[in-house]
Amino acid sequence: MALRELSSLEKCLGLKKPNKYGTQGERKVPVLQNNNGAPLVGLVTIASHLVHEAKKTVLLGNSAEERAVVQQWLEYRIARVDNCPKDELKVILKELNHYLEDKVYIAGNVFTLADILMYYGIHRIVVELAIQEKERYLNVTRWFDHIQHYPGVRHHLPPVVVLRNRVYPSGHH
Amino acid sequence: MTTHSAFSAHFSRVFSATQCAKRHSHAPPFLLSLVLKMAAGTLYTYPENWRAFKAQIAAQYSGARLKIASTSPAFTFGQTNRSPAFLSNFPLGKVPAYQGDDGFCLFESNAIAHYLSNDAIRGSTPQAAARVLQWVSFADSEIIPPASAWVFPTLGIMQFNKQATEQAKEELKRVLAVLNQHLNTRTFLVGERISLADITVACSLLWPYKQVLEPSFRQPYPNVTRWFVTCVNQPQFKAVLGEVKLCEKMAQFDAKKFAEIQPKKEAPAKKEKVSKEGGKPQQQPQQQEKKEKKKEDKKPVPAEEEMDECEAALAAEPKTKDPFAHLPKSSFVLDEFKRKYSNEDTLNVALPYFNDNFDREGFSIWYAEYRFPEELTMAFMSCNLITGMFQRLDKLRKNAFASVILFGVNNDSCISGIWVFRGQDLAFPLSDDWQIDYESYTWRKLAVDSEECKTMVKEYFAWEGEFKHSLTYMFLRENAKTGIRMHVAAEEGLHIFPPAEL
Ligand SMILES: N[C@@H](CCC(=O)N[C@@H](CS)C(=O)NCC(=O)O)C(=O)O
Repeated sequence: MALRELSSLEKCLGLKKPNKYGTQGERKVPVLQNNNGAPLVGLVTIASHLVHEAKKTVLLGNSAEERAVVQQWLEYRIARVDNCPKDELKVILKELNHYLEDKVYIAGNVFTLADILMYYGIHRIVVELAIQEKERYLNVTRWFDHIQHYPGVRHHLPPVVVLRNRVYPSGHH
Repeated sequence: MTTHSAFSAHFSRVFSATQCAKRHSHAPPFLLSLVLKMAAGTLYTYPENWRAFKAQIAAQYSGARLKIASTSPAFTFGQTNRSPAFLSNFPLGKVPAYQGDDGFCLFESNAIAHYLSNDAIRGSTPQAAARVLQWVSFADSEIIPPASAWVFPTLGIMQFNKQATEQAKEELKRVLAVLNQHLNTRTFLVGERISLADITVACSLLWPYKQVLEPSFRQPYPNVTRWFVTCVNQPQFKAVLGEVKLCEKMAQFDAKKFAEIQPKKEAPAKKEKVSKEGGKPQQQPQQQEKKEKKKEDKKPVPAEEEMDECEAALAAEPKTKDPFAHLPKSSFVLDEFKRKYSNEDTLNVALPYFNDNFDREGFSIWYAEYRFPEELTMAFMSCNLITGMFQRLDKLRKNAFASVILFGVNNDSCISGIWVFRGQDLAFPLSDDWQIDYESYTWRKLAVDSEECKTMVKEYFAWEGEFKHSLTYMFLRENAKTGIRMHVAAEEGLHIFPPAEL
């Protein structure tokens, strides 16, 4: 799962040469064996490394504050979204929906790594939502649709259909 | 032809891509074709014109090279645009007006913005393009009239009339509600990317958001505000607009400014009656002075009857004081040097002129280098970075000269240049308008008599040489050792792209 994600991220970043990843432990934490030095462990660490390698560090945030927010949401992705028990998924959607009410992107006003990894992480949740639920979590849905259309992002994941016009008039709470 | 040179005289040098091609015939041809395809020209406008912003932002997205002629001597609003030469190209005499380096002329801001766009922001399918046009027309016919009616009095450029303002507020609410509904499920107005629709509608809402849409007023339209804030914070918008601060408190009629601007057009004032009727503005203390005028405008007054919107907007511009006013006069006439540099041979004429006439008390010479070369990717983007900086420093033109060079190739490049400023200190802290870019550069003041300075001035002005005094040189050598690409570039006597000066 994390491995396919990393390979999509490589493509998204325009990295030509795919890396070989291993995994560690029963949670299958991804590991990248670095030629010169200690191995890189964990999705966030490896993803940030790939961004540097691709010379696209703007994706990590443009200011100190933006970089902090990107890191915060990368952690949120790992700590909250991954391994989230089924009955708590709704809480995550609610949190995100609220957060995205006045935002187009996760961090700052531009597309960052936080958008990419959150999109990969949350795809399995959004793909399961009924139309009515998508309307309830309108801000998540709008953000999700924008990111899945962002050039080069989607790759291994199937597109999720999003309706522009409300089917259920009072879907928003 | 004469028209053109008259207007462009103040620009240090007008480049054509062919000139550039001749000079650096070894440069990769694909980069040159990229330049040739992009529009390049001059936009005439008064400063800070939101209509011109549409075109300027579009150019940021497309990479079209746009010079802004907004201050004298290049352009003086009310004079230049009334001259026969201008009128023969632009019969309305209105701005913004665009003239391409190839002579192609356009008026009407929307047409200019369209021309300076690329397909991605014009809408790449017939449907998308039509939707873009839909929103552009929507902005002109639905947003601008109420926005102007409400905002202009707060800028002191139109008489206040309560009824007209209230009506404008209601109309704007209706328009914002439509936008809010549309943006409920959408990130941008058309498709999933920024288009000319977003540029146009955002620019039309710029004054309202800055001036009157206070938090409680905009609260019912969160989707519009989310979209607006995102737009104006895109690098391409920011490059033109600077930091956009949303209104905190709804501005009220600026009676003082109105009084200052208005008298020229005012009928002789009648002193007897001092009225205090319904259309009364708010609590501005200075307002007594012109109460007498007010009785003449009891009914809603359309903008045309007052003062031309644009003359007014211009008059409302705070007269910026000269940031260099504290310096004594200098014997070195920068404009004369620029003329020589533009029109005559650099090594044989311009440089000797510079060396003979340079005034070391009145001016200083600096070496600047971009701090984040590893973030530079495509050459045309770096080119935008440099030209964008020059655009933002427009008002520094009279007091500075710079030759900035992008060295290298795509994904392996760096930027450095030589700057000549009025005064002995870095000029940027002198004006809030100049703060955006300079911290991205390291600045080193050069000792005017040093060999180093002489060589660097020569190399950077002529765009040729070894450049071994700059860190750029080390950068080039480093790469020459480790990579093929820069080695090639160095052997060709450097691939310089784009040549750009202030
Ligand atoms: N619809 C035109 C409006 C242009 C316009 O009204 N320009 C005004 C400045 S805001 C002008 O140049 N007026 C000068 C004059 O009428 O002499 C556009 O969008 O370009």
